Amino acid sequence: MSVKKKFKGLSDKAVAWLFIGPSVFLLLAINIYPLIYAIRMSFTNFYANKIGREPQFVGLKNYIKVLNKEAIWEKMQVTANFMFWTLLLQALIGLGLALLLNRKFKGNELLTTLIVLPMMLSPAVVGVFWTYLYNPQVGLFNYVVNFFYDFGSFDMIGSSELAPWSIVIVDTWMWTPFTMLICLAGLRSVPNYLYEAAEVDRASKWQQFIYITLPSVLPFLLLALLFRGIENFKMFDMVVELTSGGPGSATELASINLKREAFEKWKTGYSSAFAVILFVTIFGFGNVYVKVMNKIKER
Amino acid sequence: MDTSRSYLEPSSFSKKLAATIIIVYTVITLIPISWMVMTSFKNVNSAISYPPEVLFEPSLEGYVNLFTNRSRQSQEYLDSLPAPETWYEELVRSREMVITGPSKFLGRYSNSMIIGFGSTFASVFLGALAAYAFSRFRVPLKDDLLFFILSTRMFPPIAVAVPIFIMYRKLGLGDTHLGMIILYTVVNLSLAVWLLKGFMDEIPKEYEEAAMIDGYSRLQAFFKVVLPQAMTGIAATAIFCMIFSWNEYAFAVLLTQFNAQTAPPFIPTIIGEGGLDWPAIGAGTTLFLLPVMIFTIILRKHLLRGITFGAVRK
Repeated sequence: MSVKKKFKGLSDKAVAWLFIGPSVFLLLAINIYPLIYAIRMSFTNFYANKIGREPQFVGLKNYIKVLNKEAIWEKMQVTANFMFWTLLLQALIGLGLALLLNRKFKGNELLTTLIVLPMMLSPAVVGVFWTYLYNPQVGLFNYVVNFFYDFGSFDMIGSSELAPWSIVIVDTWMWTPFTMLICLAGLRSVPNYLYEAAEVDRASKWQQFIYITLPSVLPFLLLALLFRGIENFKMFDMVVELTSGGPGSATELASINLKREAFEKWKTGYSSAFAVILFVTIFGFGNVYVKVMNKIKER
Repeated sequence: MDTSRSYLEPSSFSKKLAATIIIVYTVITLIPISWMVMTSFKNVNSAISYPPEVLFEPSLEGYVNLFTNRSRQSQEYLDSLPAPETWYEELVRSREMVITGPSKFLGRYSNSMIIGFGSTFASVFLGALAAYAFSRFRVPLKDDLLFFILSTRMFPPIAVAVPIFIMYRKLGLGDTHLGMIILYTVVNLSLAVWLLKGFMDEIPKEYEEAAMIDGYSRLQAFFKVVLPQAMTGIAATAIFCMIFSWNEYAFAVLLTQFNAQTAPPFIPTIIGEGGLDWPAIGAGTTLFLLPVMIFTIILRKHLLRGITFGAVRK
């Protein structure tokens, strides 16, 4: 009897492929194939709503068009601003809340669960409801703001100066708990003996924070920001329902613009090129970020 | 006496201060959600009064409006009708309207249920198989495969929506429950595989090895020993998949219209006379968010794992 096959039934190798196969097949069919399809279409002048018309190969024309279009760079700018402010606010508030929750007062488990609620909700439905809160005539948000300082009438969604902030506020409200939870895990991972040693060495609380707490939380915070960065680069649902990219194109993020080109103007070839560019951007940035993050972790 | 207290323990003053700030934050962050729930119990007029009404006479008008279609009628016509038989008919009549039929909400809600449960079951089942294989066997290119599975989550949904739209049109899967179940299953697969792999890594190998020495085959050991051991992890993963499918909007709005549309694209379209019907939207929102809030409370111990794809465990 061979040593390898000592148990009855299928060999381990067969079981491994049997178990992994279906998942890989589905991912290839519903994720990778469409991606390759999109890359192929990005080199053609295909219109998905014109059935029967043979698409023609146009080379890099779509890519050149996308990159030379000023409007695209405006959308990228809007996306970059949105990402900058949401990530900054969520990092600061999330870390702050985590530090406070880490004081282990009574009831902090319950409060953590309550704080986390917004991020589990449907972003599209959240967007709809915030249009009510932001309503310039009857909205609760406007009422509360005016209660503390009378700005008079203002329209968070309708004014092109305020609209970018309206989406930053909602996103921060929803997702700060995310960074908070992950930072909290980081804080709890710091072994107590580090602080004990610091106390013996008469390090001040502030020094302990700078030299022990912060370096231990940093990798966790960076991980949280990676997740949020990817999500907000793709941001679509909440903003579509809240401002639908308006007024004008003040809050038209890259993926909202992509949806317009692809599903309203049906410029399939052109929008595929845009999608590929977005995908390469996110993948490129993501990879560089992970490398930097690992460097920091090693230190 | 308090001398035994470790100097690492925060002082009671700093604890109290922290607790106060956290409580204030919690209250502020819950206001929008509570406001949605409150609005669902207002009548149309009190929902658009200014300053916003905190105290109001509760009404079920929002819920009635959510579930029915109504049309406005003249007073003479209303007088000519027989007396209303139910409380909701009476409520609608008092607004000079009659109920013309049920609204689409129930259908959209049950679509969300069917697609949510279907895709959750499929992704957890397939995910558990793959996770087990990654956890226990030497798979060639394991790390690359795992990263590939994770990277599919980075695609902006709109980027692959057009090809999927065309593919589905060819296959006859456009605007069908099956099509959406397959799509959400695939989107959730990466989460399911990564989370479940973490949970399976924690189950000692010795369990199934003992079973196999007792004469179980590998498959029997997996189904009879490993799966029951992994039940907590499977339940947590299932809830995460369910919440994702339940909340998904981009694919739903782009790929479905009449037949398989779920609730998220439908709720924003609830329109009353002269603008959006806020109590009805509040009612739809409340009914839609309630399951997720309950799930979140059940999940609280596994939240961290779920939101980081298993990268951070407690």
